[in-house]
Amino acid sequence: MNILYATLGLVGVYIYVSFVSLLWEGLDRKLVARMQRRMGPPLLQPFYDFLKLVSKEAIIPRDSNKLFEIAPVLALAASISLLAYTPVGFGPLFATKGDVLVFLYLLALIAFIRVIGGVSSGSPYAQIGAQREIIMLASREVSMMLGLFAILWRLAKLGAERPFSLETLYQYNIWEIGTPLTIVGTLILLIVFIFWLASEIEVGYFNIPEAETEVAEGPMAEYSGRHLALFKLSSALKEFASASLVVAIFFPWGLSGYLGMSGIGAIFVDLVFHTIKVFIVLFVSMSVFRAVTGRLRITQAVNLFWSRILPASIIGAILLAMDILGVIA
Amino acid sequence: MNALPWLIITPLFGAFSMPILGLLGRKVREYWAVIISGFTFAIAARIFYSIWRSNEILLYTLGDVSPIGEGVKFPIRIIWEVDLFGALLALTVAFVSFLAIVYSLGYMKEDSGLDKYYTLVLVLELGMLGIVITGDIFNFYVFIEIMSIASYVLVAFRNDTWEGIEAGIKYMFVGSLASSFILLGIALLYGQYGTLTMAYLAVKIAENPTLVSRVALAFLIGGLLFKSGAVPVHMWLSDAHPAAPSSISAMLSGLVIKVGGVYAIARIIFGIFNPGLHEYLKVFGAPSIGVNTLGWAIIFFGCLTLIVGNAMAVIQTDMKRLFAFSSVGQIGYILLGIGIGVVAYGEKAGEIALTGAVYHIVNHAVIKALLFFVAGAVIHQVGTKNLNELSGLARRMPFTTLSFLIGAAAIIGLPPLNGFASKWLIYESSAMYNPILAVIAVIGTVFSLAAYTRVLFTFLGIESERVKTAREPGKTMLIPMLLLMLVIILMGLLPWQINEKVMLPVAKMLEQLKGEYIMALVKFVGGV
Repeated sequence: MNILYATLGLVGVYIYVSFVSLLWEGLDRKLVARMQRRMGPPLLQPFYDFLKLVSKEAIIPRDSNKLFEIAPVLALAASISLLAYTPVGFGPLFATKGDVLVFLYLLALIAFIRVIGGVSSGSPYAQIGAQREIIMLASREVSMMLGLFAILWRLAKLGAERPFSLETLYQYNIWEIGTPLTIVGTLILLIVFIFWLASEIEVGYFNIPEAETEVAEGPMAEYSGRHLALFKLSSALKEFASASLVVAIFFPWGLSGYLGMSGIGAIFVDLVFHTIKVFIVLFVSMSVFRAVTGRLRITQAVNLFWSRILPASIIGAILLAMDILGVIA
Repeated sequence: MNALPWLIITPLFGAFSMPILGLLGRKVREYWAVIISGFTFAIAARIFYSIWRSNEILLYTLGDVSPIGEGVKFPIRIIWEVDLFGALLALTVAFVSFLAIVYSLGYMKEDSGLDKYYTLVLVLELGMLGIVITGDIFNFYVFIEIMSIASYVLVAFRNDTWEGIEAGIKYMFVGSLASSFILLGIALLYGQYGTLTMAYLAVKIAENPTLVSRVALAFLIGGLLFKSGAVPVHMWLSDAHPAAPSSISAMLSGLVIKVGGVYAIARIIFGIFNPGLHEYLKVFGAPSIGVNTLGWAIIFFGCLTLIVGNAMAVIQTDMKRLFAFSSVGQIGYILLGIGIGVVAYGEKAGEIALTGAVYHIVNHAVIKALLFFVAGAVIHQVGTKNLNELSGLARRMPFTTLSFLIGAAAIIGLPPLNGFASKWLIYESSAMYNPILAVIAVIGTVFSLAAYTRVLFTFLGIESERVKTAREPGKTMLIPMLLLMLVIILMGLLPWQINEKVMLPVAKMLEQLKGEYIMALVKFVGGV
């Protein structure tokens, strides 16, 4: 029975998140347009785009192989499974000990499937884009993992029942530890995560693999019709899931506790409140970042990650570790 | 009826009858090889199942009911002593050998001298089965030699190619040297203790651990590290595996280096120089063998092997050479697991490490067999193994590419496949024992990820001229690949169940905390 409920929950979350994440896309485009004194598209534009792409003819390049057609389906499947492990206002549906690894794995897998799809298209543009995506993937994940593991380790020390599950983020809050070292460390890690989020969803500085003007959409260069629609949807889901991680780590407060609610109502209120927080985080890390920064070169971006973000992440993790080990009492 | 002798009789009969049956024609010869190896597989499965059910060590004496001689109090006959570890290895050996023989039907079609080929493959299988079931150290040497000589010849089987001959000579020279190290170690042990039965030798060594026993141990481990392709002495492997026919590479890489290498190391350490016994002696201040030194030596070679092997795999342009170096790297993980199992003997970390090592032996045998079958299919259909010429194979050989994708994902250790659980156990135990070892293990995996991603991109990339006319190979080559893929996926879906039901009991029986391996023999002696 439990599996049945969890499956129903996953279907519900999937439908909700696909709606909300596409809505955010529309909101984002509107906001960025306003920042540049344009009217921008209507709010529901991504839905129209999606429907139109689905109805269009999908062109399969002559030089492509089977994986070209399979990759979009795999990417969407991986994104849906990612939602089962994403904290969305409450603990992940399939929360277990150590599920953070599954989350990270699926997140990386989605990027990797995009790369495989790109490489399989047989187009040199897509290959260049795919190479860049792999380089970015290798650069950005290390600093994020270090920060995430440091925080979860710190929380596990407070006596979590399932250590290294994303569920612990709702049982304990990194801010409530309250010592100066943790607060400074967490703030540093927040900056790391904002940069990571921007690169995960490839905006602003990090719009490198897709770079329309340079390599014609990168890995997606040859995709059209329903395949492209599936990829767009899975990217939107991934965007939401990545932002959810940041929200769950740094802003995990729920609303239902204050309102004294319980049951289905509380879940719904928390979900909506979580969505609003995700929108705020995405506004900072996506819309503003996209509007005010240009693209870096791939070497600059890699350099940024290894020589700025990673040291910041190390410092943040060391501060958290110093706090728990009592180096400075 | 005891099925154990049939495990040796069947392939022996198959090999010896092959030259006569081969006269009846090509088809008969091929079917005969398939029937014999299939039958061996069934026997191995039966033996494994009965030992797994009863959870007892099976002791078989050649020529009598009891290994003890008349009027004397010690074993004088050759015994075969099979615990779960040996039975599991026998099952793996028989399974992969069976698939390799089926694969050969299509793969070796264009070669001549196939009557010798099938005889040699059955002899190779026989040698490996003998190693895993024997409980007599000289018998063990004999089977190691049977296996080694069969593999020297099979590496050089295509003797009209320069690389086959070169690799065969290299393999034969270093392999004979290694074998003589092993023989020297055995001679020293015999001279000192006067017995060749492994379990009885363990008792004798514990009674009187002299310098000679330590020197013998060093010779044995040194020789066996050669055979397993550990790093300073891995150079034969990277030549022999690419040069051999692919069905043989699958057996060499999946089985020979494990059975003749890491299995034998584990058996000699845990069976003859039992760490538990010597820890126990140390408590009473009695002379004993320093198992920690031994364990750290193995960990050292394990770490070196997994870094160098995987790193060398990244820079290869020859597909089979890349797989060969990757095999070296995976041997490193197994050695690391065995090493931690020795230094952390009796602790939780040690048990997990040993479980991981045993699990990885089986997983890697299956995965690497699949990968070499893929390489064989590519060579057979396209005629090159140079990765720079193989770009864009996925379009013409989708099934082969899928097999490669599954094999590569499994060997890197991606979760829904079988490589994950075994590597996870090794990471976990090494992190528990010493985090630096875990870091080294992860670095090795990063290299391996890089190596396989590169091959994957080659397979998927833009089609080159060379592969334009390629087609999928025939059914006899595709079916073994399909079966291995199914095994990888099924084992990947039930990782912790397999771990709990099979691998953990195997590791416990190998570890023999209560000296079960020795007790199985001592029972006959009646109180030593």
